[in-house]
Amino acid sequence: MRSVLLLVGRDWFALPMAAFQEVVAAPVVTALPAAPPTVRGLFNVRGQIIPLLDTGVLLGLGPLPGCSFAAVVQSRYGPAGLATTGAPEPAELAWRVGPAHGKGTVAAYAAGERIAVLLDPMVLLAPADVAAES
Amino acid sequence: MDITGQEERFRRMFAEEAEGRLATLSELLLALETTTGDPELLAAVFREAHTLKGAAAVVGFADVLQVAHALEEVLEGLRRGDRTATAALVDSLLGAVDGIREMIPAVLEGDDRADHAERLVVSLQTPPPDPAPADPTPPDHASPDPTPPDPTPPDPTPPNSTPVAAAGAGIRGIGETIRLPVERLDELVRLVGEAVAASLRLGRLVTERLGVEPASVPELHELSRVLGDLQQRTLRARMIPFATIAEPLRRATRDLARTLGKTVELELRGQETELDRGVLEQVADPLLHLVRNAIDHGIEPPDERVLLDKPPTGSIMVRALQLGSEVVVTVADDGRGIDLERVRERAREAGDGLEGAGDGDAIYAIFRSGLSTAPEVSEVSGRGVGLDVVRTSLASVRGRVEVRSEPGAGTEFRLSVPITLAVLPCLVVEAAGRRYGIPMHSVVSGEAAGWTGDYVEGQAVIRVRDQVLPVASLAWTLGTGDEAAVNGGPAVVVASLTRRHAFQVDALLGQRDVVLKDLGRLLPRLDLLAGASVEPDGSILLVLDASGLVNQARWIRPGVRGAVESSPAQPASPASTGQPSLLVVDDTAVVRELERSILELAGYQVRTAGDGQEALAMLADAPADLVITDVDMPWCDGFELTRAIRAEPRLAGLPVVILTSKADDADRRRGLEAGADAYVVKGDFDQQALLEIVGRLLGTLTTARAGDRR
Repeated sequence: MRSVLLLVGRDWFALPMAAFQEVVAAPVVTALPAAPPTVRGLFNVRGQIIPLLDTGVLLGLGPLPGCSFAAVVQSRYGPAGLATTGAPEPAELAWRVGPAHGKGTVAAYAAGERIAVLLDPMVLLAPADVAAES
Repeated sequence: MDITGQEERFRRMFAEEAEGRLATLSELLLALETTTGDPELLAAVFREAHTLKGAAAVVGFADVLQVAHALEEVLEGLRRGDRTATAALVDSLLGAVDGIREMIPAVLEGDDRADHAERLVVSLQTPPPDPAPADPTPPDHASPDPTPPDPTPPDPTPPNSTPVAAAGAGIRGIGETIRLPVERLDELVRLVGEAVAASLRLGRLVTERLGVEPASVPELHELSRVLGDLQQRTLRARMIPFATIAEPLRRATRDLARTLGKTVELELRGQETELDRGVLEQVADPLLHLVRNAIDHGIEPPDERVLLDKPPTGSIMVRALQLGSEVVVTVADDGRGIDLERVRERAREAGDGLEGAGDGDAIYAIFRSGLSTAPEVSEVSGRGVGLDVVRTSLASVRGRVEVRSEPGAGTEFRLSVPITLAVLPCLVVEAAGRRYGIPMHSVVSGEAAGWTGDYVEGQAVIRVRDQVLPVASLAWTLGTGDEAAVNGGPAVVVASLTRRHAFQVDALLGQRDVVLKDLGRLLPRLDLLAGASVEPDGSILLVLDASGLVNQARWIRPGVRGAVESSPAQPASPASTGQPSLLVVDDTAVVRELERSILELAGYQVRTAGDGQEALAMLADAPADLVITDVDMPWCDGFELTRAIRAEPRLAGLPVVILTSKADDADRRRGLEAGADAYVVKGDFDQQALLEIVGRLLGTLTTARAGDRR
């Protein structure tokens, strides 16, 4: 399966290519007052305002220290940016190597030299979870 | 496209075109009733009916054709002078127009409406004798009328056609207007906004890379000018004239007045005033309700008016006027005015006591859900829902309603709404190096630097003309600045629904129209945020919500009580500080603040609310350990609040102290029956007594709270 690998802290996650839109390097983020920890702020992609989500908080790994890149994803509730700690890489998921238990995850896959957990953007990007306080 | 597809396309085109044509026909027929024998007008009506008939024949709408033909026959009789346009005949004609309007969607879906068409034709061919004698005697209700006017007027939002302003005015030609889905227009507005933003980015790039000012490059200057012009015009394209919702009121007025045996003249002014379609839609229902109320409750029957030395024909004036970025719509009648005693009586019956409220406040009880002054429920009114709809519809478009009434002289409602929701006029300010927009409709004033602040009970305050208002640092309130203290810098005074608050900023940058962008549905609702916009330099301008801002400032007051020093952006639960949390509810600011200072000095954590509704909302957000409430307050009084608290399982055990100037035993009994734990009369008020009661109730709270109070 064609996918984009996202580095989140020390973990690699795979985003299906169909949900992926583009990568924005070093996004300029406008912080939102009183926003939940999942929302790092808003950024501008060619005139469109997109919320930037802390992928670490969303996946239960804790907040990311910074955001070098944002992977823009199309969700059914509109576009969203997923903060990553490294440049996203295109990859082909080879075979399933094990289960994954986190919210919005499908299973762990071999992707070249790496092991990446495949994400299900439909489940991961649900408004109720984005709004969660922790 | 195959033949079937083409046929379907033509049928739908006919349906769309017929909407406008039927609206025009209705207007012309109404004019016909008052302008007897005008040949030009008669020709115009006939032409509309004839064209409708011809088009129905072309697309094969036989049922519509049949009714349109009968309509044309009657009009032909009028044109020849064989008949006269009596009110009863106009009723029949209008009934046929309404009938065709109802038939078209059904016929379009393939339904057979032959029976309906037949009935309409019979009704047209045998119009009843006109029972209405000359003014001022009201019409005889007992007279048979096979096509009685529907007491429910037609949808006030007519098709998107340009209404005919006056009888016999130029009839709209088919080639002059086109219809298009509103979404297309919205998309156009969005794209033009993007183009303007892109041109600004281009200008910035030229400056950065070439060191040239964009305005000095003729091509860029021209591009910017044309795009600006285009943006203005596309925004304007979403606007539609007030006449679109005002004109149908003529028919509604005529039909309802006739049903009620009254004669009413409706005067419309400011018809050309333009508003955003979305705003206008929300004004249509309130306007119809107000006009119907004026006819039903306000205007007296002709004989009664004559006895009162008034002209037999009642007058209603609906006027739209643009004032700055708002349109003010007034509905004024010369009827009997609002019976305030009756309002008070109905409020009493509903247990909402207005006894202490002045007339100016009591009159607003008419906007409460379920409160009607009509003696009985009829098809026209009396269910007490109309004015509630007025209030809620207006609130949804950031509008408001005011009312004035004089007994015997009439009533005036004043609706104020923004011209457009697409562009939000904002005051742009800077705080801690960031820019923010504050919607102008919630900005009271901007205060220049140099003011001298005071502290009252640890709260910084600023004097603004004759008011003393709390003031806080905007950056601190938003959690972006470290400095909580204020030092006399520029400040902006904002008003939430119930209170005013000042915020010190680094600079007031001026007023600007802001186009809010869609933020998608993924982002949770944030109380502090009204929206966001993209600036010419590509940065994002956050537009703040005044109510959220004021609430946030009140939560994080620095220096006193359990302020959340470490995380000012997160509202703290008042209960989390360990101090008992009290909620003081009173619509009089001075009483509220007095009670607050007494209770805070005694070590309690105090929140305040301006009425019962706000108090309930605050209790839903965060619990309290005790509520102290006044009785006489707008929207939801103290008795109502107490009953609501007792009815809510989560709050049922919450102690409530009623603190009021109402000293009657009957009131005391009502308060205690509503579920209050203590009833303190303000006349007997001393702060020690209040503190003792609060202490006693909070003391019993620890041992008896688990028990069922009721």
